[in-house]
Amino acid sequence: MAGRRALAVAVAAVIAAGGLVACGSDKPKADAKAELQIWVRKPPGSNTEKTDIQLAAKFTAETGIPAKVTALFDDFETKLQQAAAQKHLPDIVINDTDQVGTLVKQGIVTPVDKSTFTGAADLGSAWQSATASDGKIYGVPFSLQSYALLIRKDWRTKVGLPEPKSWADLDALAKAFTTRDPDGDGKADTYGYVIPGSTKRGYLSWYFSTWLWSNGGDFLSGKPGAYTPAINNAQSVAAVDELKKQFCTDKTVVPGSITAQTTDAHPLFESGKGGIYLTGPYNMARFDKNLGKDKYEVLALPAGPDGTAPATLGEGENIYLMAGSKNPAGQLKFAEFATSVEGQTLGMAGNTDGNVVRSPVNSKVNTDSVRNDPRWTLFGQLLQQDAHYAPAVPDWSPFRQDSADTLNAIASNCSLDVKTQLDKLAGTFNDELSKQGAKA
Amino acid sequence: MPAGGCRSVRAVMTIATTAPAQEGASAPERPARRRMRALDSVRRHYSAWLFLAPALILFALFKFVPMIRAISMSFKNVRPYLGDQWVGLDNYRSVLTDSSFLSACWHTAVIAVAQTGGSMLVGLVLALLLEGTARHLWIVRTAVFLPTVTAMAVVAALWRIIYYPAADGALNSVLGWFGLGPSQYLDSPHTALISVLGVGIWRSAPYDMMIFLAGLAGVDRTLYEAAEVDGASIWQRLTKVTFPALRPVFGIVLTLAAIRGLRVFTEIYLLTNGGPSGSTEVVMTLVYKLGLERNELGVASAGAMILLVATIVLTLIAQSRRRRAR
Repeated sequence: MAGRRALAVAVAAVIAAGGLVACGSDKPKADAKAELQIWVRKPPGSNTEKTDIQLAAKFTAETGIPAKVTALFDDFETKLQQAAAQKHLPDIVINDTDQVGTLVKQGIVTPVDKSTFTGAADLGSAWQSATASDGKIYGVPFSLQSYALLIRKDWRTKVGLPEPKSWADLDALAKAFTTRDPDGDGKADTYGYVIPGSTKRGYLSWYFSTWLWSNGGDFLSGKPGAYTPAINNAQSVAAVDELKKQFCTDKTVVPGSITAQTTDAHPLFESGKGGIYLTGPYNMARFDKNLGKDKYEVLALPAGPDGTAPATLGEGENIYLMAGSKNPAGQLKFAEFATSVEGQTLGMAGNTDGNVVRSPVNSKVNTDSVRNDPRWTLFGQLLQQDAHYAPAVPDWSPFRQDSADTLNAIASNCSLDVKTQLDKLAGTFNDELSKQGAKA
Repeated sequence: MPAGGCRSVRAVMTIATTAPAQEGASAPERPARRRMRALDSVRRHYSAWLFLAPALILFALFKFVPMIRAISMSFKNVRPYLGDQWVGLDNYRSVLTDSSFLSACWHTAVIAVAQTGGSMLVGLVLALLLEGTARHLWIVRTAVFLPTVTAMAVVAALWRIIYYPAADGALNSVLGWFGLGPSQYLDSPHTALISVLGVGIWRSAPYDMMIFLAGLAGVDRTLYEAAEVDGASIWQRLTKVTFPALRPVFGIVLTLAAIRGLRVFTEIYLLTNGGPSGSTEVVMTLVYKLGLERNELGVASAGAMILLVATIVLTLIAQSRRRRAR
C-alpha cells in the first residue's frame, strides 16, 4: 500500500506543479523598453526575412526599443494557435489581411485607434483591410498585392499563339502547351496550368477567387451583417465549370497539382512543367533568377465569358498588435515606423526578391522611384482598378476552407456534378453565416 | 512493460510483508528486525521512486497534464484570451454528427485493419526469409529495416516523387513497361487511400519483421529437426511448429500495429493532408485541422477523446484475449 500511496502523492504533486506552470499571470506590467517579439510569415533564411530583420534593426536604431524577428512559414497559423493556447503570444505578427476575423474572434489581437496613430491619413483606404466586421480596426495595413498570369513567353512564341484575351484563348494556349511540346525535348512532359490545388490553408479557394470574380461570380453577396451565398449562382457555376474543364476535360493542369501547396507549385512553373501560373508579384524576383526574366510575361487574367471586367484577388499583410504584450507603446511605435515612408521604402526592397512590401500602403511613397519595373506597375494598376477583397464576415477562414474542400473535390473527382456540389456548399455557407450572425 | 514492472513491485511487497511472519519463532529479535525491515523496504521503494521521478515528471508534464486539460477542453468552447465557456456535451454532439468525422473514422478503421494486416504479413514473410546468423543476412536485414528508421518527412518526400502521377513518374514508368497506368496515386480520390496504405505498409513492415525475428530466434531448433525427421513438409513445419511458437509474438505485434494504425497521422499529413476530396482524411488529421486550422480546440479535443477511448478499448480487448490465451 505504501507504494500506491507514494505514487498517488507523487502524481498529485507533479500535476499540481504542472498546473502552476500552466497558470501564468495574464496581465504583464507595461515596460516601454521590453523587447518586441515579431513573427513574420516568411521562409526562414529567405531574403524577405533579411528585409524584415533590417526593418526591425532600423526601428531599434531610431527608437531604442529592441526587436527580434522570427521568420516562420509552414503552419504559421498553427504555431500562432499553439502560442495562444500557451498564453505566450509574440508582440507583433505580420500576416495575411484575411486573418483579422480569426484573430478578433479569439480575442488575441488588440484594436488600433486611428485618431491617435501617427500618419494615419497617409494610409487612406488601405485601413479597410484591417477593419473587422464590427467596424473597428484591428491591426495596421502593411502591404497590398494583386494577382496576374505569369505565362511562358518563349513557349507561346513557339506554338505561335497570341496573348490570351479571353478564357477560350487561355484554354487554347494551355492545350497547345500540353500537346505541342513547347520545350522541344520530344517528350510529352509539359502542361498548361500550374495550380496550388491543396486544401491546406484553403489554397485552392484562394487561388480560384480571382477566376470566380473575373466571371462575375462571388462567394457571398450582400453587405456586412447581411450576406447570402452567391457561390451557386450561374456565373459562379460557370467559373467552377471552367476549373473542372481544365482538370477533367482538357487535362491541361500539371499532374500533382491537386495536392500541391504554393511551395510545391512554384517549382512546377520555374522547372518548365507548366506554362501558365496565376500568382502574385512576389514570385517575379525568384522566377527571374531561376527561369529568366525574358522567358515569361505578366498579363492580367482576362474577364470570363459571363464577366464584364477583369478582376483580381486583392489582399496583403497587416501588422497585428497582439494581446498580452509587455510593451504596448512599443507595438504601436513599430507599426507607425513600418508604415511610414521610410519603413515602406525599406520593405519594398527595390526590384529584389527581398520585398516584404509588395505594393505600398502609404500614399506618400513614390513607387516608381523605388522600383523601375513595368511589371510591378501592372500589379499596382490591377490592385487599384480591379481588386476584390474577401467578404467582411466575422471569420472568413471557415468559408475559405469549405470552398477549398468543395473545389478540391470537384477537380479531383470528375464524376461530381458542379451545380449539385455548389448548392451543397451554399448550404454550408448559410449555416456558417447564421453561426457568425452575418446572414441577411 | 508496465504490467511487468507492477508485478515485480508487488512481488517485493509480498516478500516484505510475509517474511516477518515466518520468522515469528525468534521472539527477542522481532521488534528491532521488523523496524529494520520496514525501514529497508521504505528506503528501497524511495530509491525506486527517485529513479522513476524524472520519467514521471516528464510524463506528467507532457502527457498526463495535457490529457487532463484535453478532457476538460472537450466540454468547453475554448478561447484562451476571452475565457472558456462550458458547453456540456455540445462538442461531442457536433463531432459525432459531422459526416466528415464519421468518414474519417471509417478511413482510420480501414487503414488500421489493412495496414496492420499488410505489415504483419510482409513482416512475417521478410522475417522467415531473413532469419539466420549469416553475415550477408545481417546486412540485408539492416537494409530492409531502413524505412522504419528514416524520418517520415524524408519518406513522404521520396514517395511523392515515386508516386508522381504523370506518365513519366517513377512508378508509372515501371507500370508503363507492362502496358499499365498511368495511375493518379495520391491525386485521385479513388487511389489515394490505397497509395497511402502502400507507404504505411512499406514503412512499418520492417518493424514487425524485427519483432518476428526475435520471436523466431526463441523457437526450439530441435522441434524443426524432429519435424523434419517425421517427414513434415516446409508448409507443415511452418504451420505446426513456427506459427504456434510465435503465438505470443503475434499478440504483441497485433496490439502495437493496431494502435499505430489508429493514430496514423504523419504520413497522411505529409502525403495528402487528408485530400483529395477528403478521401484520406483520418481522425488525427481531422482533429488537427479542427483544432489548429479552424481554431475549434474544444471540438477537436472531443474528437481526440473519442479516439482515446477507442484505443483504450482496443488495448483492453487485446490484453484480455492474450491473458485468456495464456
